[in-house]
Amino acid sequence: MIWMTWRQFRTPALATGTLLLALLGGLALTWSEVTQLARETGYTGCQGDACRAAGEAFLQALQPGWASEFHIAAIGALYLLPALVGIFWGAPLVARELESGTYRMVFSQSVSRGRWLLVKLAAGCGAAALGAGLLSLVLTEWAQPIDGASADRMNPLVFAARGIVPVGYATLAFVVGVATGLLLRRTLAAMAVTLLVVISLQIAAPFVVRPWLAQPVTTVSPLHFDGDFGISMSPDTGRMTVHVEPDRRGDWIVSSTTITSTGAEFTGPADMTQCGPRASGGREACQRWLGEQNLSLKVSYVPGSKFWDLQWREFGVLFALTVALSLFSLWWVRRRLV
Amino acid sequence: MTSALIADGLTKRYGRRSALKDCTLDIPAGHVVGLVGPNGAGKSTLLQLACGLLDPTAGRIEVLGARPVSGSPQVGFVAQDTPVYAGLTVADHLRMGAHLNPSWDAALAKRRIDQVGLDPAQKAGKLSGGQRAQLALTVAAAKRPNLLLLDEPVAALDPLARRNFLQGLMELTAEQGMSIVMSSHLVADLERVCDHLIVLVASRVRVAGDVDDLLATHHRLVGRRRDTADLGAGRALVEQSHTEVQSTLVVRSTAPIVDPSWQVDRLDLEDIVLAYMSGATGDGPDRVLEGQR
Repeated sequence: MIWMTWRQFRTPALATGTLLLALLGGLALTWSEVTQLARETGYTGCQGDACRAAGEAFLQALQPGWASEFHIAAIGALYLLPALVGIFWGAPLVARELESGTYRMVFSQSVSRGRWLLVKLAAGCGAAALGAGLLSLVLTEWAQPIDGASADRMNPLVFAARGIVPVGYATLAFVVGVATGLLLRRTLAAMAVTLLVVISLQIAAPFVVRPWLAQPVTTVSPLHFDGDFGISMSPDTGRMTVHVEPDRRGDWIVSSTTITSTGAEFTGPADMTQCGPRASGGREACQRWLGEQNLSLKVSYVPGSKFWDLQWREFGVLFALTVALSLFSLWWVRRRLV
Repeated sequence: MTSALIADGLTKRYGRRSALKDCTLDIPAGHVVGLVGPNGAGKSTLLQLACGLLDPTAGRIEVLGARPVSGSPQVGFVAQDTPVYAGLTVADHLRMGAHLNPSWDAALAKRRIDQVGLDPAQKAGKLSGGQRAQLALTVAAAKRPNLLLLDEPVAALDPLARRNFLQGLMELTAEQGMSIVMSSHLVADLERVCDHLIVLVASRVRVAGDVDDLLATHHRLVGRRRDTADLGAGRALVEQSHTEVQSTLVVRSTAPIVDPSWQVDRLDLEDIVLAYMSGATGDGPDRVLEGQR
């Protein structure tokens, strides 16, 4: 069964492997560029407050080179990989056998259906995990100075392209492909549905699943309006909202709202004589007026120190879904298929 | 006589549509059995139930004394339209067979591939229909099953490919001595290789028996028109047709018919099968003969 699995799987596996190798090669070639720039700009080995400035300089210096291109490409690849694995590895795995009728040939060999699917699932999941894991591992190591300087690895976009989470997405996408192929029995339809499911998962994760998994901390602190802030208001109704960027470097800000002393979100109404186009006092007057409103900033955030904790939790959920879907597929192929 | 396949009240439904309904039959082992019937009689469904590709909705099926499961080393199956992996070469198919079957007979597979002139390096997707059928038969036979099920393997082949395929099948039975059940809606194909015949119409066995017996006990009677209610003991009416002056009957009778008022002719196998198939459509099931097993 292992030979047969390899014989049928080798073309898509080698194609995906080649793409991954190209990316890994790019990362390997730019590795020295990253470490050298980090050293030259003084980011490597920096102390205390100097780090922030050195980090900015390092990121600036990195911008024009190949390194940042490969960084974006590698992140893009880790987002694309689950969709590719689901569509081209998973969806045709059973669907094509059902479509072309070859399932009748392979099921009349001396191998049970359950074992047939089990070996294929194991091989596909293993290959998907290996590919995604290798790329993510190399990228996480490669980008360590960048993540340190930008303090951005909790950013939802970066988070799913670091650590072990990509492994979870790749394996889940593969099993999603297999299960849809098994249920729909049509390769093309299974591919389309798989793409839809994988993309929905990738969108739902940062908005719904991750905040729920991370259990963000909520803090309320008085607002002083001496730093940067943004105002949007309607001059007719006086409705106004205030946006303040919380100073939480390295944390993931899930939500941030300006609230009044009662705890409700601040929506105005604004004093039209102090703020807005008809006010004469300019920005300072509006700033002073806002300062007198007794406003606070309510921030819901996940501390950056919980990076690996959250990685393991999200991976755990994805892994559990993969196992559940695999068991369902095995049951289906034995009991319900044809 | 041991049985290769026993079905008892076997039913397979897809939603409301019945592909096989309350089928009861007993196929003896050690024969090359032809399963013949019109399209939609349930032949394919029966064979797929027998190799475990399908699960019955109701009833019981036993193959070589056990409930069929797919992946059994005892049962080989060549599906309708003889599916093969288009992307794999002929040699790959043999390697697949060797990897997936503990009882694989590599020498037999190699010999058959040479015999039918298949190029091992050729992709199976590029084979002609006849070559594909030969490849599928080779893979199924080299597994060395005790029972080989063939579902209309020659339906899509031209006459020459058909003859070659049946020739290969006969060689296999002579060498290996495996039981074979082969379905077809063409009697001529079966006549060449089968020694036992089952006529299945609308999930019912119309007649079953050894080919020699069937040939010996069926007669066509032609005489002046008359009522056919009393044919006498040991005789059963299979089919009748009447004109103004003349009656033509197909009768099954164990004893020879000596009646000067009838002109008695022998029937060939195709005539017998056709008589059962057409006789079955007009008449009620009470007129149907159960074959002697």
